[in-house]
Amino acid sequence: MSLLELKDVSKVYGELHALDKANLTVEKGEWIAIMGPSGSGKSTMMNIIGCMDRPTSGQVIFDGRDISKESRKKLTEFHRDKIGLVFQQFHLINYLNAVENVMVAQYYHSMPDEKEALEALERVGLKDRARHLPSQLSGGEQQRVCIARALINSPQLILADEPTGNLDEANENIVLDIFKQLHKEGTSLVVVTHDPEVGEVAQRIVRLEHGKIVSDKKNENFTE
Amino acid sequence: MNKKQRMFIRMVVASLIRRRSRMIVALLAIVVGATILSGLGMIYYDVPRQMSAQFRSYGANIIFTPSGDGYVSEEDLDQGVSIFKKEELEGFTPYRYENSNIHNLPVTLAGTDFDSVMKTSPYWHISGRLPMGDGETLVGAKAAEKLGLDIGDSVSAQNSFMITEDTDLTKIPDYEIYTDPETGEKYCDHLLEMQVTGILETGGPEEEYIYTTFHDISSLTLSERGYDIVEVSVAAMQDRLKDYIKTINSNVSGISSKLVKRVTASESTVLTKLESLVFIVTLVVLALTMICVATTMTAVIAERRREIGLRKALGALNSSIIAEFMSEGLLLGGVGGIIGAVLGYFFADVVSMNVFSSSITFRPLLIPITIAASVLVTGLACLIPIRSAVDVDPALVLKGE
Amino acid sequence: MFFRMIRGTFARQWKKMLMIALTVALGASIATAMLNVMLDVGDKINEELKTYGSNITVIPQSEAVMNKLYDVENDEIKAEYIQEEKLGELMTIFWANNITDFAPLTDTTVTLNGSDVRLIGSWFDHHLEFVKKGTTYQRDTGIINLRSWWDITDGKWMDEQKLDGDKYAMIGAELAKEKNLSAGNKITVNGEKGAEELTIVGVYESGDDEDQCIYTTLPVVQRLTDSSGLFKKAEVSAITSPDDELAVKAAKNPSLLSGDEYDLWYCTAYVSSICFQIQEAIPEASAAAVRQIADSEGKILEKTELLMSLITLMSLIGATLGISNLVTSGVMERSAELALLKAVGAANSQIPRLVLTEIMITSVIGAAAGYFIGYAFAQIIGHTVFSSSIEMSGIVALIVAVLIIAVTLVGCIPAIRMLLRLRPSEVLHGAH
Repeated sequence: MSLLELKDVSKVYGELHALDKANLTVEKGEWIAIMGPSGSGKSTMMNIIGCMDRPTSGQVIFDGRDISKESRKKLTEFHRDKIGLVFQQFHLINYLNAVENVMVAQYYHSMPDEKEALEALERVGLKDRARHLPSQLSGGEQQRVCIARALINSPQLILADEPTGNLDEANENIVLDIFKQLHKEGTSLVVVTHDPEVGEVAQRIVRLEHGKIVSDKKNENFTE
Repeated sequence: MNKKQRMFIRMVVASLIRRRSRMIVALLAIVVGATILSGLGMIYYDVPRQMSAQFRSYGANIIFTPSGDGYVSEEDLDQGVSIFKKEELEGFTPYRYENSNIHNLPVTLAGTDFDSVMKTSPYWHISGRLPMGDGETLVGAKAAEKLGLDIGDSVSAQNSFMITEDTDLTKIPDYEIYTDPETGEKYCDHLLEMQVTGILETGGPEEEYIYTTFHDISSLTLSERGYDIVEVSVAAMQDRLKDYIKTINSNVSGISSKLVKRVTASESTVLTKLESLVFIVTLVVLALTMICVATTMTAVIAERRREIGLRKALGALNSSIIAEFMSEGLLLGGVGGIIGAVLGYFFADVVSMNVFSSSITFRPLLIPITIAASVLVTGLACLIPIRSAVDVDPALVLKGE
Repeated sequence: MFFRMIRGTFARQWKKMLMIALTVALGASIATAMLNVMLDVGDKINEELKTYGSNITVIPQSEAVMNKLYDVENDEIKAEYIQEEKLGELMTIFWANNITDFAPLTDTTVTLNGSDVRLIGSWFDHHLEFVKKGTTYQRDTGIINLRSWWDITDGKWMDEQKLDGDKYAMIGAELAKEKNLSAGNKITVNGEKGAEELTIVGVYESGDDEDQCIYTTLPVVQRLTDSSGLFKKAEVSAITSPDDELAVKAAKNPSLLSGDEYDLWYCTAYVSSICFQIQEAIPEASAAAVRQIADSEGKILEKTELLMSLITLMSLIGATLGISNLVTSGVMERSAELALLKAVGAANSQIPRLVLTEIMITSVIGAAAGYFIGYAFAQIIGHTVFSSSIEMSGIVALIVAVLIIAVTLVGCIPAIRMLLRLRPSEVLHGAH
């Protein structure tokens, strides 16, 4: 069974077809990059995959369950349990330190546990920065905190939206290395980006244009 | 306490402490509001009492007169005065009037107690000074003009009476006896020499009188008797005064007590106006301050819309976000309320000391009211923006800018 | 470019700007309302204090002075009286508008059913007309307003202008009880010069010795005492300023004042200067303050004004703190945007100028709106408490304007200091 299946999914905002009958399947453990210019429907697709929005029509089947008709509250619960989010702007809570930011995700999911949170930070190489506030961390470090936060509840899917958009090259490489590591460990990854360098490291590349999937193929350059 | 509650407290505390500048902004607004509420509240409740004391400068508001043809006796006076609450009784002054002659002109002598007279007639303007004992006199301005008297002058009051067998001339220190040539009756012309220590100006009928001590007036008339009238000044409102009068009239048989309507009726008119002035001013200032607190809280919440969106994206339910933000707000409201209530008390006390030279009455009830009100206002001020913020689509907020 | 940036701010940040404008408007409205009420409260309370009755009495100059002024042989003028027609002069003095009521009074002892009773003649609601130098002055005045504490227990107040003739009376409650009289009864009073039959229109309770008296119209007493056109005493109720050092100095002897002091004293509504002007207008009269009323009035006014000014001060402090608070947080919120400007090379001086201009425009708009809201509040207060409008003072607009500008500037200082210290990289990298 696939982890996620979009069947003829459309999202219409008034006259605008942000997503037009898109079909996409994500297998467990797969690393997919969704690419396309701005306005191509990347964000809409990401919101639908992330259970933060419902399609106008079509089916979204996540882990064997059709969630396209679920209530907002159910959707929130579902998204909390299954998905970890990584943002372009990191979105750390600026008055909480690194480990507390990770714990917030635990708090809303189940039970905060500082030890686990510290372990998650260790995984992204930030153990010694755990007590720093976001303003005391560099952009790359903030993004790693964001990834640690996405990982903490052992989600079935990590959804990253332009994860390197605000980073310099050195930090971009650190983040991509972490993704590689996660992929090796069997985590499913969907990365939305317009940066070819970020897309090139994925296992499979899906291209969107004007709300339609124009190509969906295996990345031949992919290296384990 | 489980880990979840501990994390909850950790987040709230972190938000309050690490976002210090913002929290101070919010707290300051709440403190200002609470200070105004508690300060103006205490002033409002204290104004009638404090102003009532000021209105005592109009002098007596109750008078005792003898209930029958006699005089007010010392015992009746003591009994009557004891009915007033001690802290409300500003003072009382008895008067005894006698006719006499000075320089062969008829005058009215008024015996009184110079120690208490300024309490019941604070408006007396005296050039010179009040008499300090027997042999001294205070002369009304008109009487002084008529008699050509000035401060420092000596004046002899004269009292003639017929000598009968009962008359004990040894009691009289200074007199002349003469016999009516027609009837053969003997008369005693008793003189009382006094020194003028002050001239009294009031613009009223008091200016016609010559004031002396009771002892002097008794020795001049050779008779000890009670008082014609007693002026009483009581710091209380009209309704309370009416109660006092009822009690006195039914309990003290020798006294008929009356309200001085000119003073009491006018006082209650003016005091009512003053009270409602302070009330409505308090209301207006409070309303505006509360709106001010609300806008500040709204601003403080509004800038956290993105954080709310993030929490939603992390899977928080609307209810738990509301709970977190509200407890922050309520905590601020409570702390601000406590600080403000205390500051307000000090402020009211400073005002009271400056205006009335007496400290404000502490109203313990205002403290919980202030705290409750500031918690309520802050809570409401937070609830509205939070509710609209949690309804927002996290995807939109997180994507924006 | 500068203005385009400012326009941009208002277009994009209008919500925040609106919030700042709203707070400024609230603060300005508190300041406007409170300052206006504070400045007017003296006059308002003064009017209320008129319920205590007259604060000036006018009596004839003493005989000694009279003899100097007039030839004693002139038998026409009785030394203990003043001419009724001279009372109109009160409407011509400098502070005439401050005189709220006045009435002449003449009393005499009459016998009623065999006992001696004090009969007082006066005006009740007399219509007075007085022509001087071609100007006609007129007003309705009398003791109705000078005896506001009277309770009419039976009948009603005498309506002098409507009643036919002058043979009417109002009788004190105690006397009425004693003689078993009530409204509508006719009484006959016997004086030195004849008797008058009077109809009782009302019974009053005054709470003082006037409860034993009878009030009637002035002509009745004039006939009974053979003093046509004359009266013994007048009561005057005037709105006065509390006495201060100058007034005390002047009360001793106005001629000792220096020229400037004299002008100031004369043109201030002190009770002593009004008395002085009354004496100027009616030379044969002597006007004196009723200390019980005038002094207490001064005291209460002073306390009320002080109380109100401290309450005003408190509200102003509250309002200013509120405004500067929000201005500070409003500017701080935009730190990211402003740091960006700094990052793209804006000079340190340009950012404060931009921020100040934006905030100032917002504040001025807010303050203008607040002034009018405050005006409305002041009127609400005036009408609810005193049933009359609060006079708006021009100085208040000025104070409010200066205050708001100062507060806004002060509110900007911490924010601007913070902005100048800001390193652009920190803001742009940090969380927003």
